[in-house]
Amino acid sequence: MHHAHIDKFAYQDSAIHRLDSRVKFLVVLFFTAVVISLPRSSLSILACYAIGPFAVLVWAKIPLKFVFKQILLVSPFVIVLALSCPLYDRTPVAVSFGPFSWQSSLGWLRCFVILGKFIVTMLALIGLVSTTRFSDLLAGLQKLGMPRLLIIQLGFLHRYIFVLIDRAHHILQARAGRKLRNLGFRTELRTAASMLGSLFIRSIDTAEHISIAMQARGFDGNWRTLSKLKVRRCDVFFALTAAVFMSGLYFFVKPILQ
Amino acid sequence: MSKAIEIENFTYRYPDGTPALSDISLSVEHGQKLALIGPNGAGKSTLLLAMAGFAKGTGKVLVDGFEVNSKNLKKIRTRLGCCLENPDDQLFMPTLFDDVAFGPLNMGLEPEQVKSRVAEALATVGLTKMADKAPHHLSAGQKRAAAIATILAMSPKIITLDEPDGSLDPRNRNNLMTLLRSLPQTLIIATCNMNFAAALADRAVLLDKGRIIADGEAQIIMSDADLMTEHGLELAQRKL
Repeated sequence: MHHAHIDKFAYQDSAIHRLDSRVKFLVVLFFTAVVISLPRSSLSILACYAIGPFAVLVWAKIPLKFVFKQILLVSPFVIVLALSCPLYDRTPVAVSFGPFSWQSSLGWLRCFVILGKFIVTMLALIGLVSTTRFSDLLAGLQKLGMPRLLIIQLGFLHRYIFVLIDRAHHILQARAGRKLRNLGFRTELRTAASMLGSLFIRSIDTAEHISIAMQARGFDGNWRTLSKLKVRRCDVFFALTAAVFMSGLYFFVKPILQ
Repeated sequence: MSKAIEIENFTYRYPDGTPALSDISLSVEHGQKLALIGPNGAGKSTLLLAMAGFAKGTGKVLVDGFEVNSKNLKKIRTRLGCCLENPDDQLFMPTLFDDVAFGPLNMGLEPEQVKSRVAEALATVGLTKMADKAPHHLSAGQKRAAAIATILAMSPKIITLDEPDGSLDPRNRNNLMTLLRSLPQTLIIATCNMNFAAALADRAVLLDKGRIIADGEAQIIMSDADLMTEHGLELAQRKL
């Protein structure tokens, strides 16, 4: 079975794809921190910050349809949070956007800022995972000092989440094939619990088999990898450009727009 | 000279007490291609795990002259490569390159040696162009070949394969047979597919209910209609 993988464009080739994973990760980390720290009442500056990840995505030839589909997939949680703002903060404010201005509430303004920050940071994050192979990202994180155990767990999660999804699909298909009438809430609940139990037992089985496969190939608890990472001149140039873009907007454009 | 595998009176029970293997004695010469045949639940997979030191029972198991015990495990695992039934269990790294490099790196080889072993193993199974792919992007046939490459990169003298033909279409099965025939190593293949076994093995061992029922020339055992039927197997139709 084939799934839509979040990193399916990471195997393309472009100048952005070839950048060192550590540099890209650090740039996205700082970018996210800067965007989160922006005032809760300014949408215009957020729009300026969106230019950065947008340019990277276009340069790396990542289809924007794919990007917005990914954002939509993870948006429900943030939408619920954002939509709760107008309910508890109804302080009236005058909003202006370019030549337009109108009356609204602070709650609505915050709602749009939360959504704006979410979209801009997600653009950056999708830009990172769509231009960096997961293995390179893990190697980069390891080089940056992330605990080895966490790296191993992330690697396994990325590798086996699709196997687990496949198994869940098969269980659901088997259930659908034999479910000929509505069974009632309690029976459905009991069936769902059994399905989850079966999935859990299969996960334990898989974990045991992986453990055997690892030990059979000499694994003794120490994770050994071939490091292929190297910071080059283009990586330094990318990091400097990102720093100038972020600090320029923060120190020069933000005060004007506020 | 020591034999590839020597097993003397090996008995193994599952943790719940169910007998899995009873009084198994078997020896395999270097370079031999052995098919372990038998119905489901006969104990074939358990016997392969016992050879690799994953199923500890009573009796003696020797791999290339080294007794299987915790002291010799490292030596045994550089001599015997075991390929599990489900390639998804065997391929656990983010890319195929990393997966094939996993064994050689654990053997303590230098980076250049590791790279050359990976390149050689991937070339042998015809997956050189897939080196940077994630294992979940491979087809079933490619995953099977990749699982074998992970073993080949460690240059073992003995390779055990558990149901290697499972869920493969005829073309991929034929490709796999061509690959396995080309390997110089001692091969021990557990399978229920008699045609697959007959095409590869020169010797067959029939297991049922944890016991060795027959041991001899593959073509003779697998063309014995009464024996095959009695143990829930089918006759080998052809030597492929």
